[in-house]
This record gives sequence, C-alpha cells and structure tokens, in this order.
Amino acid sequence: MLLRSAPLNSWIALSQDETEIVATGATYSEVVERSEKAGVSDPLIIKTPDQWSPLSL
Amino acid sequence: MRQKIPYKIYPDAFGPPDAHLYSAMLNVQIALLSANAPRTKRFEAIIDSGATRTLFHADFLRYLGVDLTAGEPEIIQGIGGRESTYLHEIALYIPGGAVKIKAAFKDGLPVAGLLGMQGFFEFFKVSFDPEARACEIERVYRA
Repeated sequence: MLLRSAPLNSWIALSQDETEIVATGATYSEVVERSEKAGVSDPLIIKTPDQWSPLSL
Repeated sequence: MRQKIPYKIYPDAFGPPDAHLYSAMLNVQIALLSANAPRTKRFEAIIDSGATRTLFHADFLRYLGVDLTAGEPEIIQGIGGRESTYLHEIALYIPGGAVKIKAAFKDGLPVAGLLGMQGFFEFFKVSFDPEARACEIERVYRA
C-alpha cells in the first residue's frame, strides 16, 4: 500500500493517477510547490495523521 | 447527478503488517469567493456525517493568503473536547458544481478536511454500501 511509505503528520502529493508519491512537505504550500517543481501540476493532496489508526474526530 | 465513490484504503499501524482501514473520502477543491480566485489543488476530505460543520485544515487559508484569525471564532465540541475554529466563507468545488459555504478552519487537524452536515450533506443524498465498500452521492439542487 502506497501510503505505508509516506511520512506521518505530513502533506503528501500523489500523481494524477494516484499510483505514486511525487512530493511531501510539512505544509500544504510546501507540498504544492514541490509537486510543481516535480512537474506535477494536478496532484491529489493528502494530509497524513501522526499515526495510522481508526479516526474519531 | 450520481457518483459512486469507492472507499479509500489506509494502513492500520495497530494490526498485522498488512492491516488496513477503509474511509469514505471525496476529492474536493476550495477557493476564496472573489472573481477568478485560484483554487487549491484537489485534496481528500472525509465524508463525515458526524461533523456538524465542514471543517478544513488552516494550511489551506495560508496558501490562499488569508489570516486564519480574521474569520468568525467558533468553539466546536469534538471527541477530544472543545476546540477553537474560525469560520470563513469560501467556494467549495464538489461534483455538480461549486457552492458557497461557511466552513470552519483550524490548525492541527490529522486530516485535510471533514465534509460535514453544514457545507456538504445539505447538497447531497449520501448512502454507504459496506458490501461494495463504496459511498454513493447524489447532488440535490434546491430552488
């Protein structure tokens, strides 16, 4: 599963087809900037929690 | 307009090595209300009928050039206790077209956003199918 390798408590940019992590960042703005530098202008952005566990918000 | 949205799969750190969890998520974008305002990139938000109001991470406001605390303060009651949020009027881009909503924003969210009763469910009929592991949304337009 792709997200197992993603850093926790971070912003993740996935490729348009959602098969590859193209950038990560500590903030939303940072991950967008890094994604664009990587040549991906239409990523899907995900915020990862500080641990992968069931959520009750 | 109807759309079937397969649940997203996430790791479960507390199970065996391949353990995973399912979540109903929708890819959305937000923008300020001004004409030709740029949108955020597409991001995943949880479809959460337990959330009274739609809530987003405050990082989006910073990206859009807005001061979080310039919004209207609102205290929300979560599972973990009371939390301070700030309300801002935004455009939410969802299937069937953008809507103007008042959304809450706060720092420290473990996810990018929650699509709640106000700001999301008022625009859709929503059903959850545990066998298909999918959610179906149907846009509702009111005069």
